[in-house]
Amino acid sequence: MTDRPLGSFATLSRRQALTLLGATAASVALAAHAGSAAAAMPKTVKGQLTIAFSQEPTVFNPHLLHIEVDEGIHFSIFNPLFGIDENGKFTPALALDVPTVENGGISADGLHWHVKLRDDVQWHDGKPFTAEDVKFTLELLVDPAFRSWRRAGHDLVRDLTVVSPTEITWRLEKPYAPYASILASTFIVPKHAFDGVADKNNASFNNAPIGTGPYKWAERVAGDHILLTANTDYFGAGPHLEQVIYKYVPDLTVLYTQFKTGDVDVTGLQWITPDHYDEAKTLPGKIVQVVPGATIESLTFNMERPQFKELAVRQALYAALDKATIIEALYYGLPKPAESYMPQESFYYNPDLPKHVFDLDKAKALLDGAGWKPGADGIRAKNGIKLSFTNSTTAGNHIREQVQQYIQQNLKSIGIEMTISNLPPAVMWGDYWMLSKFDSVIVGLDFVTGDPDTSDFFLSGASPAKGGGGQNTWQYVNPEVDKLLMQGASSFKPEERKVAYLKIQELIRADLPFLPMFQFATVRGRAQDVKGFTPNVNTRIDSWNIGDWSRG
Amino acid sequence: MSAVSLTPESSAPDRWWRHRAVQRFLRHRLALIGLAMILVLGAACIFGPMLLPFDDLFIDLRARFAPPLTGAHWFGTDPLGRDLAARLFMAGRISLLVGFMAMLTSTVIGSVVGVIAGYRGGLVGMVLMRFVDAILSFPSLFLLLALAAFIKPSPAMITIIIAVTSWTEIARIVEAEVRSLRDRDFVLAARMLGLSRRSIMVHELLPNVAGPIIVAATLTVARAILLEAYVSFLGYGIQPPVPSWGNMLNGAQQYLANAPWLAIVPGVAITMAVTAFNFIGDGLRDALDVRSELD
Amino acid sequence: MVHYLGGRLWQSIVLLLLVSVIGFALLHLAPGGPLSQFTLTPGMTQAQMTHLAAQMGLDRPLPIQYLDWLWHLLQGDWGRSYRDNRPVAQVIFGHLGATLLLMVSGMAISLSIGVYVGIKSAINRGSFFDYMTTVGSMIALSIPTFWFGLIAIYLFSVKLGWLPAGNMYTIGNGSLLDYARHLILPASVLGLVDVATWSRYMRTATLEVIHQDFVRTARAKGLSHGRILRRHVIGNALLPMVTLAGMQLPAMLGGALVAETVFTWPGMGRLFRDSLGYSDYPVVMGLLMFSAILVLVGSLVTDLLAAVIDPRIRLG
Repeated sequence: MTDRPLGSFATLSRRQALTLLGATAASVALAAHAGSAAAAMPKTVKGQLTIAFSQEPTVFNPHLLHIEVDEGIHFSIFNPLFGIDENGKFTPALALDVPTVENGGISADGLHWHVKLRDDVQWHDGKPFTAEDVKFTLELLVDPAFRSWRRAGHDLVRDLTVVSPTEITWRLEKPYAPYASILASTFIVPKHAFDGVADKNNASFNNAPIGTGPYKWAERVAGDHILLTANTDYFGAGPHLEQVIYKYVPDLTVLYTQFKTGDVDVTGLQWITPDHYDEAKTLPGKIVQVVPGATIESLTFNMERPQFKELAVRQALYAALDKATIIEALYYGLPKPAESYMPQESFYYNPDLPKHVFDLDKAKALLDGAGWKPGADGIRAKNGIKLSFTNSTTAGNHIREQVQQYIQQNLKSIGIEMTISNLPPAVMWGDYWMLSKFDSVIVGLDFVTGDPDTSDFFLSGASPAKGGGGQNTWQYVNPEVDKLLMQGASSFKPEERKVAYLKIQELIRADLPFLPMFQFATVRGRAQDVKGFTPNVNTRIDSWNIGDWSRG
Repeated sequence: MSAVSLTPESSAPDRWWRHRAVQRFLRHRLALIGLAMILVLGAACIFGPMLLPFDDLFIDLRARFAPPLTGAHWFGTDPLGRDLAARLFMAGRISLLVGFMAMLTSTVIGSVVGVIAGYRGGLVGMVLMRFVDAILSFPSLFLLLALAAFIKPSPAMITIIIAVTSWTEIARIVEAEVRSLRDRDFVLAARMLGLSRRSIMVHELLPNVAGPIIVAATLTVARAILLEAYVSFLGYGIQPPVPSWGNMLNGAQQYLANAPWLAIVPGVAITMAVTAFNFIGDGLRDALDVRSELD
Repeated sequence: MVHYLGGRLWQSIVLLLLVSVIGFALLHLAPGGPLSQFTLTPGMTQAQMTHLAAQMGLDRPLPIQYLDWLWHLLQGDWGRSYRDNRPVAQVIFGHLGATLLLMVSGMAISLSIGVYVGIKSAINRGSFFDYMTTVGSMIALSIPTFWFGLIAIYLFSVKLGWLPAGNMYTIGNGSLLDYARHLILPASVLGLVDVATWSRYMRTATLEVIHQDFVRTARAKGLSHGRILRRHVIGNALLPMVTLAGMQLPAMLGGALVAETVFTWPGMGRLFRDSLGYSDYPVVMGLLMFSAILVLVGSLVTDLLAAVIDPRIRLG
């Protein structure tokens, strides 16, 4: 519902990128059997843990259309073939090891995949897990009658073949490097739960999920909480907790209060608001941590609006953007200023972009130089076009509304009129955003999803307003960027790709289709005795490794 | 009332302040208090901003969250360091204006629909009143939020949205009154004299239902102020930086622990204004001898 | 009587149809829609959005979608929630209990205070008590419910720490006492706002009864003050109070919805706001029809009871 929950398998580490493409030796297979060793030991589970979300998880079939908060439940109940850890490394789960070119799991051309599965995994209902379940899952995702949340990538899969109960193979229509990171967020669901179900959108499984994961479905009180209990037959290490409760607390202030009083052990999605950070740090018995995310906050232009067509105007607006004050005063110094859409932790990040300087005089000089002269009402204009525009964001995001008003005041002082027009989320992120019906927007976006390719955002043919299929909602057109994007996407060598992506970042920094403000950092809180909590920018939710969590 | 009046209405002197209703209103203590409160609030909103040394829109991030009585900030400052008193008075202009305009709009629509439905009766009346009933059976929250999704919020639009959700009650009251008057002698007489339908409705019926309309209208102002506050509180109403009492409360819940004055100051203003209009409405009800549904 | 009921029923059906048409049109014509929240999902493409819209039948002309919805409704199928994937009726009834608990407790508070205050100020008419309670209840009537809630949270949770700031119960506790502690603030806020309605009514009713002959007779017979009140005043005022309660139902529901959002109470108000936010059309339509039916039944019961109580009122 907010615009934050963009996808973020954000930052593949360099090694990860190389591993996937088969350029160097993989090192991840080592971790493969760590789980089975632990499985032999008897499980000791104790205590319960309450995680609070400010949105309610309601979709429990991980392949149905859902939002990020639902994935909190998915990670607890299900497993993918292999997951992705906080360093961007793939770690085997239901697969015996992560398929790579070296271990023969992926053919040299990247087209043929061969995955070996564990033979010691049981579904929560006691039935054995087999390759048929994997086949069913991958087919379900592209079933035309199924309300699938993600087809991209899976629709390239051909010749899906079960070789044996523990082996499965398929072929990809074309080489597609991001498919590995897509699989890392593809949870395997049991085929037998859908036997004889005509409408898979409404299967009873969807409201009483059966998985292979560390926790089992126990109870849901709609509008309030979901209770999960330990799966003591889990094949991996853990679980260590007897019960996990996902509590729905729709108000962030209340969520924080309950964290303070101990009713909530871990602040989940949307976490602690920045204005509570100073107080939260001092709370006894709590650990409060600032965690960087992959989301880049920007003031985004609709480049087809006559006011924004001229580069000098965009440059002037950037010069008039008091980033430092916004970060220090309104966001309590938590986020890091950004110049690029690429997260700073990424292998592909360009650290050499020119640094933004807040300078109202420079902004004025730029506008004067370009011929934008103040009119009788004090607002600048040129050739009958007034330097006046609306700015929108999700209504109810208080800090952003403060940022808007602060920007508004600065712009007014140099003869630019910005009007605030905020919208409910369902309206904001519908056609208004997708079909570029805005003048300007303040938005936090995750540009990089698993792969540094950002064609969806910057390719000139990717604007839905012009009939494109991507999300180039600023309607940015730059033939050179187009060329580089093609180059980057067709190359298989990370070092080669990096050259293209560094250049793209440079061009976009110069063209300013959006004014980069900062890279998000959020405040996560947990009770002191909660162990195992590890922030992971490559997943969308903190409970991605809930199986490893324990108390005491 | 006519049973106890010894002097016929026509023989009363033509001074409006000697009119019995006015006299009765003036004897109603609460109504007078209400009137005084509105006058004070109104004067503060009109003249306050001129007297204060601060602009309601001036952002000063160094002065964020100043508690009340910090220097010249009587009511403190908001999260952007703007003077709360200046904002409160400017907001009052907007909120009172929205309330007043919404009242006017809904009273006009409600009276027209009510008089037509009540006088014409039959199919026209049926259709109109079923429509009124239909609107009345919506939770007003739904109507407000659904309409707010359609329209870019501005004070004028918020006024219209509120009017759309509140004209129905007036229509219902007027319809019931007119229906009961329809077959009275004076209407029949007018009809026999050959007066047009419109002229009967406007000249004969409307003045006779003026009492209930005035009372309902007063209470509608109170209601409209509340509705504006709620919609803006949710963030779908009047947009920043223009202050309204409602949007000043937007976000106040978040700062309740550290800056409670952000919630208290505008809330007290809203309560005062609404109370005042309710007091006045109560006084008018007694003065104009309007039986309320409940009493 | 049968004729009257038939007429009312017929009118109610027309009314419900009207409500559903207006609601349906408003919802579906508003910008956004149930898919807009997924535009920012990784890997989402315009093509898949179109495909999803077709799957969910959202690409059909609006009148067809409406008739389809209506047809299913007439067969007792309220549809399935987009967001929750369960039948709408099940979703709504899952939230009904919390709202009813809040409404009933709120009404109990406003009733008991209102009745007490009403009778007492009627007996001591013109007294300081009478005056202050009239003023007090009028002010309570004027306080915005959501703001009243905020202030109550500030005072009793933030400052004094006596009561929880929200929610219905503490997980893992769930004892009766725990429920009660959570209920006090929202129910009081909801109840106090409505005290004026009841106290005014009771005051008038009591005044009327006090001056009636049989009360004078009773008093002459030497019955005690309290006894007269109990036997005659309350007895006579009770039935009309039920009608008043019926009339208050929609307002109570509206108030409960607002209180729920401030106190994060897991009832229909929260469901309503969430569903509206997600553009979960089937649930919003379901809630709309549900509340419209509630209003209609409320007013019908009110009218019937009024006829039962007062023989002078003839229905039809």
